[in-house]
Parts: sequence; structure tokens; C-alpha cells
Amino acid sequence: MSKLSNLLASRRQEYSYTLWFMVLLSLVCAIILASLASALKEPQELARELDRSKQMLIAARIINPDGYFQVQKDDGTFVPAYAATNGILQPSEQKITADNTQIAAVYKARIGTFLVNNEGKISTFHEAGLSDDKYLQEYFKTGYYRQPWKLLYKIYGNIPPEGNKERDAIGYVFPVNGMGLWDAIYGYLAIKTDANTVIGISWYDQKETPGLGGNISEPSWQNQFHGKHIFQESPDGKTNFKSAPLGITVVKGKVSELLGDSPKALSAVDGMAGATLTGNGVSSAYQDVLAAYRPFLEHVHNEYVQSH
Amino acid sequence: MAGSNQPVSKYFTSQVWSENQVLVAVLGICSALAITNRLSVAITMGLSVSFVTAFSSFFVSLLRKITPDSVRIITQLAIISVFVTIIDQVLQAYFFDIAKVLSVFVGLIITNCIVMGRTEGMAKNVEPIPAFLDGLGAGMGYALVLFIVAFLRELFGFGQLFGYQVIPLSWYASAANPDGYDNFILMVSPPAAFFIIGGLIYLSNKLHNKQ
Repeated sequence: MSKLSNLLASRRQEYSYTLWFMVLLSLVCAIILASLASALKEPQELARELDRSKQMLIAARIINPDGYFQVQKDDGTFVPAYAATNGILQPSEQKITADNTQIAAVYKARIGTFLVNNEGKISTFHEAGLSDDKYLQEYFKTGYYRQPWKLLYKIYGNIPPEGNKERDAIGYVFPVNGMGLWDAIYGYLAIKTDANTVIGISWYDQKETPGLGGNISEPSWQNQFHGKHIFQESPDGKTNFKSAPLGITVVKGKVSELLGDSPKALSAVDGMAGATLTGNGVSSAYQDVLAAYRPFLEHVHNEYVQSH
Repeated sequence: MAGSNQPVSKYFTSQVWSENQVLVAVLGICSALAITNRLSVAITMGLSVSFVTAFSSFFVSLLRKITPDSVRIITQLAIISVFVTIIDQVLQAYFFDIAKVLSVFVGLIITNCIVMGRTEGMAKNVEPIPAFLDGLGAGMGYALVLFIVAFLRELFGFGQLFGYQVIPLSWYASAANPDGYDNFILMVSPPAAFFIIGGLIYLSNKLHNKQ
């Protein structure tokens, strides 16, 4: 070995040696990286998918951002829960951190994937004649809301399904995407069946400045969306679901100082100091995405009014 | 520069303080400005840089005898970036939560001048073990400065430490109490780190001159 290195050392100044060294170095580096990338492709894909499921459950308030399941009691408060068989949640005393298989099971039990068209009609992938894998992959970057069939998730109640009957939704989740300051941002928005009140939000993929715009993926910032309205209330306290502006605005500063008790405050959240542009990106993402779902939202709201 | 008859541990300790890369060599400033507004972020970055500097110094030192002089910088850069990419890829596959936090830093680590500074300035001249310690020390020294800067910036910029409120909310100015305390907004933006690092360099020069 030392003989070899001495031989190599003595030839270090030659051009051909330098050339061969670089070719070999590039080759070794390329082989290492290429084999690593292909070997890890599958676990990476799985990890990403699981994270998306988890973030959707966070937006739907089925998982707490700290990692344990939760159920809502009749008085509206959330208590920790554990996942029993079939992904049904039972209240528990302790906060048990959910593992990957539990998250997958609960996701399967509580979330249904659907499509909705420009008239607001819900349909399955099968009925729309689309392949779900292909659809989900192809339009991820451009945004599902730009398609004639838009992606929609139903949140089911914490009860097992009865036979083949279509289950009632207790809420809906929209995939949201837009542009932050540096790059595209991807997240979820969950609303109740009144088509207006926000259950929760999350942002699962973003490259905003850590500590500033990056705070959009912090639970402390996301929590303020709970209970906000996506349809802006008119000054008389009513909401015109046909014409009201849609979206949630991230203001520059604090909502309480800027808007006080005005109806706009119900559809606005506090901005992040030093991250105005990320906030603007988030506001326009909600605006753009929700506008595409407006017929669906009106439809759901009318159904809600009729049944209450 | 460190002499030849010193104990191996000196490679580590001298880098942390007396030859601190940020305060003495004024390297790694750009990332020190960008990511020091939160303590948690600064610590993550400090540890990642330590890790990368240590191991890339080690490998650069292993290859030092067969690396042609004319392409040594490119060789070092290749080693560093392969190393950072490996870490990022493995984290993405098996520790997704950590990867989400770190992936933003990957670009910042590769281009961090401290990593190349140590491979070029030290690792290519010494044995692998001292090179490793030297790299680790340089990273830790960098982490130390980041910690101090982030501590001051988060405390005065957000009134928080590690995301927890430390300045009582009741001190803050509100509609009822307009003369109360306000966060120092400059601290949130990168220029504040310029002033703090400038102050730290002044302090460390004072201390070093005394010795």
C-alpha cells in the first residue's frame, strides 16, 4: 500500500496523472451518489408520503402537532387518543406518540380521496375515468386546483364504515399550493361541513427562510387558523356566499391591532415579523386555490343550511 | 498556525477559541447572518457544519498524498459535497422530520467557507486524526459564535429563547399601555448579526491582546 502511494506521490505533477485522478474521482463520486439515490428512492418516497398523510391529519386535527392522536369531545375540547383496530381512535389518559403504521391506518380510516369539478359535483377517480396514481403525480407541481377535476379529501367521523354505504363527511381538506418567497409552498386546509369554518391548516413542503418565513410550518403559527372563516363577512355580520371574497389573509403585523373587531378580522391571521413576502404568498395561495373550489363550497354550504 | 510538537487535542481547542474561524479569520459570515435569528436553527446549523467539517477534513487528509496540487480545491469540494449529499439523502429516507429542518441548510453547508478553509488550510497538510479534530474544533467554534448571536437576536428580536416567551407578555406595549416594551425589529433581520458579530470580534481582539 505504501509503495503504491509513494509511486503515486512521485507522479503527482504529471498532466496525465492529474487527468486520470479527476476522472477517477468524478467516477467514484458519481457512483456513490447514483447508487445511494437509487437505493434510497423507495424509503424516501414512503417517508414523504407518510409525512403528507401526517400533515393532512394535523390540518384535520386528528393528530396533534406533537405527534399523538386526539379526539374531539362533545364540548369541543380535544383529548389525547390511541389508535385501536381499523384506525378508530379511543380516548386515552396519556399522550402516546403515533408510529408510522398507526398513522397509515388512521389515514386510511378517516380520509377519503375524491375529485370535484367546476360545477361543484363530487366524484370518485373511477367515475371521472382518471387513474389516481397518475393524476396525483402529474399535477402535484402545477396544483390540482387548476385541473377541470380538482382534488378533494373528505374527513370521515371516528366511526367504522357500515358496509358499502358512502359515509358522511365531517369536514373537507383542500390541497393548497402557491409561491413563497424562495420556492413553491405546499400545504393543506381543512374546513368544516358549513364550508366556511377552518378546522386547521398545515404546510408540509416549503423552503422559506428558517426562523422567519419558515415559521409557516410551526404549529404555534398554524394554530391561529382554527375557527377562522374562509368567506369574508360583510359589515352587517352576514356572509354572502355568492359574492364574498374567499381566502384567509396574512396581515403585516397583528390582526387585533390592524382590524380590531371588524368582520375582516375573522378571515385574517397575524403575520410573521420579517416575513411579509412569505405571508403574501400564503394569502394568495389560499385565494387562488379556494376560488377554484367556490362552486363546490357554495353547494356544500347550501346542503348544510338545508340540513340544519 | 499550530506547531508540530503540540498534543493532538490542541488542534481542537485552538480552533474553538484562539483561532476561532468567525472571530479571528472572519469566515462563515454569510451563513452566520442568515440563520441566527432563532437559537434552535443556529444550533442545528452549528452541529451540521461541525459534522461536515470534521469528516471532510478527515477524508481530504486521507487522500492528501495522492491528490495533485493543481486540482486540490476541486477535489476538496467534491469530497465535501458528496459527504453533505449523503447525509441529506439518508436523513430524507429514514429521519424525515430532521431532514425537513436540515434540507434548507444543505446548500449553506457546502458553500460555507469554513469547511473549505479547514480542508485547504489544515487537512491537506496533516494526518487524518488531527485533521478530524481540527475540523471538529472549527465547527464547534463556529457553533459557539452562532449560539451567542442567536441568543441575543432571539431574545431582543422575538422576546423568546428556543421559541419560549421569556420577556413577559404583560410588559409589551398594547392599546391600553402604549408606553410598554416593544421587540427590537432590527434584531430579526440579518443586518443585526453584523453589529453583534462586529462587537464580538472587538471583544475577542481585546481579550487576545491582553494575553
